Amino acid sequence: MRPHFDNDQDEVLGKAYDGRLVRRLVPFITPYKRRLLLATVLLLLSPAFDLAGPWLTKLAIDQDIYPVHHKPNPGGLGLILVLYLLTLAGGFVLRYFQNWHIQHIGQHVMFDLRNRIFSHLQRLPLQFFDTHPVGSLITRMTNDIDALNDLLTEGLVSMIGDFATLAGVIIIMLLMNWQLALVALAVLPVVGYVSRVFQRAMRVIYRSIRVRLSRVNAFLNENITGMVTVQLFNRESTMFEQFDRLNSDYLGANLRSVFAYSVFMPIVSFLGAVSTALLIWVGGHGIISHWGPAFTLGALIAASQYTDRAFQPIRDLADTFNTLQAAMASSERLFGLLDQVQEPPDSANPVVLDKVAGKIEFRNVKFGYKPEHPVLRDVSFTIQPGESVAIVGATGAGKTSLISILSRFYDIQEGQILLDGVDIREMRRADVRKHIGAVLQDAVLFSGTITGNIRLHNTDISDADVRRAAVFVNADKFIEQLPDGYDHVVRERGANFSAGQRQLISFARAIAFDPEVLLVLDEATSSVDTETEALIQEALERLMQNRTSIIIAHRLFTIRHVDRILVLHKGRLVEEGTHEELLNRRGYYHRLYQLQYQEQEAAV
Amino acid sequence: MQNLKYLGPYLKQHASRIVAGLILMAVSTGLSVIQPRFVGDAINSLRHPSLGHLTFYVGLILAAAILQALFSFLQRSALNRVSRLIEYELRNDCFTHLQSLEQRFYQEMHTGDLMARLTNDLSAVRQFIGMGLTNMCMTFMMLVVVSVLMVTLSWKLALIAFIVLPFTTVSVVVLGRVMQRRFRLVQDQFGRISTQAQENFSGIRVIKAFAQEDREIAAFSKANSEYVRLNLSYVRLSGLMWPIMRLVVGLALALVLFVGGLQVINGSLSLGGLVQFTLYLGMLTWPMVSLGYTINQYQQGAASMGRIIEVLHRNPAIADSGRTLPLEEVTGKIEFRNVGVRYDDRWVFRNVSFTVEPGSTTAIIGMTGAGKTTLMSLVPRILEADEGQVLVDGVDVRRIPLDTLRRAVGHVPQDNFLFSATLRENVSFGVDHPSDEALWQAVEISQLGRDLEQFSNGLDTVVGERGVSLSGGQKQRTALARAIMRNPSILILDDAMSSVDTHTQAEILRGLQGVMAHRTTLITAMRISTIKNADQIVVLHDGGVAEIGSHQELLNADGLYAKMYRRELLQQELEVEEGEEVEA
Repeated sequence: MRPHFDNDQDEVLGKAYDGRLVRRLVPFITPYKRRLLLATVLLLLSPAFDLAGPWLTKLAIDQDIYPVHHKPNPGGLGLILVLYLLTLAGGFVLRYFQNWHIQHIGQHVMFDLRNRIFSHLQRLPLQFFDTHPVGSLITRMTNDIDALNDLLTEGLVSMIGDFATLAGVIIIMLLMNWQLALVALAVLPVVGYVSRVFQRAMRVIYRSIRVRLSRVNAFLNENITGMVTVQLFNRESTMFEQFDRLNSDYLGANLRSVFAYSVFMPIVSFLGAVSTALLIWVGGHGIISHWGPAFTLGALIAASQYTDRAFQPIRDLADTFNTLQAAMASSERLFGLLDQVQEPPDSANPVVLDKVAGKIEFRNVKFGYKPEHPVLRDVSFTIQPGESVAIVGATGAGKTSLISILSRFYDIQEGQILLDGVDIREMRRADVRKHIGAVLQDAVLFSGTITGNIRLHNTDISDADVRRAAVFVNADKFIEQLPDGYDHVVRERGANFSAGQRQLISFARAIAFDPEVLLVLDEATSSVDTETEALIQEALERLMQNRTSIIIAHRLFTIRHVDRILVLHKGRLVEEGTHEELLNRRGYYHRLYQLQYQEQEAAV
Repeated sequence: MQNLKYLGPYLKQHASRIVAGLILMAVSTGLSVIQPRFVGDAINSLRHPSLGHLTFYVGLILAAAILQALFSFLQRSALNRVSRLIEYELRNDCFTHLQSLEQRFYQEMHTGDLMARLTNDLSAVRQFIGMGLTNMCMTFMMLVVVSVLMVTLSWKLALIAFIVLPFTTVSVVVLGRVMQRRFRLVQDQFGRISTQAQENFSGIRVIKAFAQEDREIAAFSKANSEYVRLNLSYVRLSGLMWPIMRLVVGLALALVLFVGGLQVINGSLSLGGLVQFTLYLGMLTWPMVSLGYTINQYQQGAASMGRIIEVLHRNPAIADSGRTLPLEEVTGKIEFRNVGVRYDDRWVFRNVSFTVEPGSTTAIIGMTGAGKTTLMSLVPRILEADEGQVLVDGVDVRRIPLDTLRRAVGHVPQDNFLFSATLRENVSFGVDHPSDEALWQAVEISQLGRDLEQFSNGLDTVVGERGVSLSGGQKQRTALARAIMRNPSILILDDAMSSVDTHTQAEILRGLQGVMAHRTTLITAMRISTIKNADQIVVLHDGGVAEIGSHQELLNADGLYAKMYRRELLQQELEVEEGEEVEA
């Protein structure tokens, strides 16, 4: 058995610069342009302080310690020391504040981006979430935004700061002694080339390390969660063999990175030695052979120190290309998300109903997730205030879609849906959902407390309301048995509650919001014991009392308790009436009943 | 330190590599330390204008540099692999050990916690080994050799270096610790905002249905700005690190230039010597800094190793003992003798005794929490009884080799676990050499066959992590096929068909009857109607066996079982009545 994990992140390598993307990035940075300007100035200034050291060394040697034309001057050394210390202090301050401002900008740009994307996602139609896995959305919010932060805090710093340092080194050396500058200019490109080759190799290696590590971890995770299954089926040794294969693949990738470093680091230090040797040889030659006044011991030593200082910026610049590439790929993905079309805006002059009676009317409704494939066709019916209605039909008949369009998760293509005679498209979505509450198929709980799950973030719902809601739906019995009662911690996805308990909590949530119309997706509850099942049914019954309610029924029990049943078949309303009426009619419902519900009885 | 001694055996395994690496390191250190000397000599040679001398020393520099590059390459390839190799071995050892640990361990320990130990902790240990091995040894060698050379050049300058340079180590240690603490806060907050986003996206239907979008955005924004605040508080410190390093090194250089310059002027030091000394300063910087890092990592490495050892040294509670009896084949007689199981201080049940004859079917019925799953887990020794005995074929399960015992059992658990592999691989998971014939038979009995058209690649369809691409019923039927495929003497069905619709369930039971006839079956279900044809029904209630007998016997006894059955019938009877009424 081969493990199939789909963790290979889409790291398509693309351009390092894309004008279109950069133009879209600019507005995220403009709010911080003053600070950015300041940071850039600091960034350009700091090389001046950093590069003073070798120059001061040259001055000390040529004028004070080892002057050619006059006697040594110990007094001058004191001045040099003071200057040296001043430039050190200046460099320290500049570098710290430059970094602080850049990071400050980076953090705030990331903050804006995260908020922007999160808010954008909140307004996307449900369809988007049906087709995009949550994991990839989280990756957008984390890795891709981080990549943009790298662009700002590393890419930009490297491009401006390192470039300034390099330019400074070259200019100073040319002014100091152009022959020695040429020597440095002969070595530095080699360093750049070697670094670039190395970075490119490392990029591939790092990628394979990441991919392989995530395979190891996914396999590990799966085996830990399924360990009992592995043990029960005596698969320990086969699983170990597979694990060992993944683990040694990962080791292999790591060893390749060790090798790459083992080659690269000695080469770089060798190049350092070569540049020193060449400078000494050329400089020494110049001094011995009196090539000119620029050939002094101080110049020679300073040149070697300057060349040394150019090594790190060159290595950083070699990496900048990777940073830019990653940032472009990430911003492409991020803008892809931001380009997703949001739900159409609410009507400009929305009809606001304070309280509704709860009359619902469908008029020739046509709807499809893709307009060319309608799932509901020409559906018309009216539900009176306070009436309870069940919708039945085979899988794919359009029951769930009917609930979705009534909540305005999707807008219909033809016809009208009216609430108290008002087209719901003329109302604000939030208002529609305030009046029409829904209990959804999978009872989703959020991490937090039980109270938090019942009232969500709605502070209008008091603790007392929460309790009342829980009592109303029979949830209070198990909640009060918990050590912390209503403050009991709910873990992610409500993992610490049974399916039945989760369902009761989601009923309580619906009741706490007290909508005039209630939609219930009543999933056939599996693994719920008879006791809890009875509680759920009782709660359902109470939910429907005195409230317009539409329920998608999977239980015969609920069908028996509603005022009327609507039968959907292939997107059309084919029959309606009470349970008895419909059975008597011996039409589609009768067949459906025999197929879906009577088998329960056959088992008895 | 206590924890780190467990690394001994791993290190010993690579002793020859480590020794070779250290020797290479010594040579390479020697070759790098000699270069500044040649530089100094070259500069001093300029006093006597002879190109020959100059070229000679420059040649020496290059020669030493080439040799050093070579030895440094060899040393790195020898030594830097060690930490990766040990990481690999540790990870494998952990995995093997985890396989020997029992279910209870996994119930106590969260998956996330275990994963953290095998990922973060393991990598902290690896970093410590890597740092400790290379950097500590390198630092040590450098410090000893360079210090001696420095002192011989000028003890005054050496004193400056020894006073100033250690500030790099100190600031790494001091700053590093605070940074680590702040960074942990950053990571925690990062975890919180990811979870918040994740929960929001997964629960978007609820968010929208309750019109909570704006409030969610506000809550997210709040967590987001806290994240920024923590990040900036980290940056405020971390931004100090490199400027401080540069400041300290620059200070040392400046002071050496000043004092050394005076020494050159008064003749106690050559200019070449001063340059040589400056180069040594540069050589010491990185070892000093990395010493600080290693000191910080030591604590973390030791703590991480401790957490890994906790896993590695956990004794498997369920394993073959020295007293195992060889058992060729299991016919499938099961006997519970006064069995009791407790979780912590609470007994789930006690004094449970009954016998299941080979080839018969026994159902276990009871409310949620009565201990049905617990009881069935005792047979394949997923769990062990705290008192009493469970016997298979008359032998205490603790004396049957685990491998033999489990091979005899086909287990379909309540929450079945599928692997991210193809359907075929999942069904034939428990068989060493799967035959197509057996595979198709299992697929057919479990009624999985008719679903296959739905899948693009039939049996070769990948089911996704934990079988996400399958419906609940399909998952259960795959798990069922997996158990049937093993052709076990004992079949355990633990509420195995809860998500299967009643119609299919009936067909599966019909298909199973052929299979069950030859084997012992233990079954539980939420609904009595599923299991009422069992040869024997055991009712668990209130910490023990309340009733035992066949369906009819138990109904006649008119006890708990009869009450439960009536209750279950109530709603269905009502509906039947009504249906018949209408149809009549």
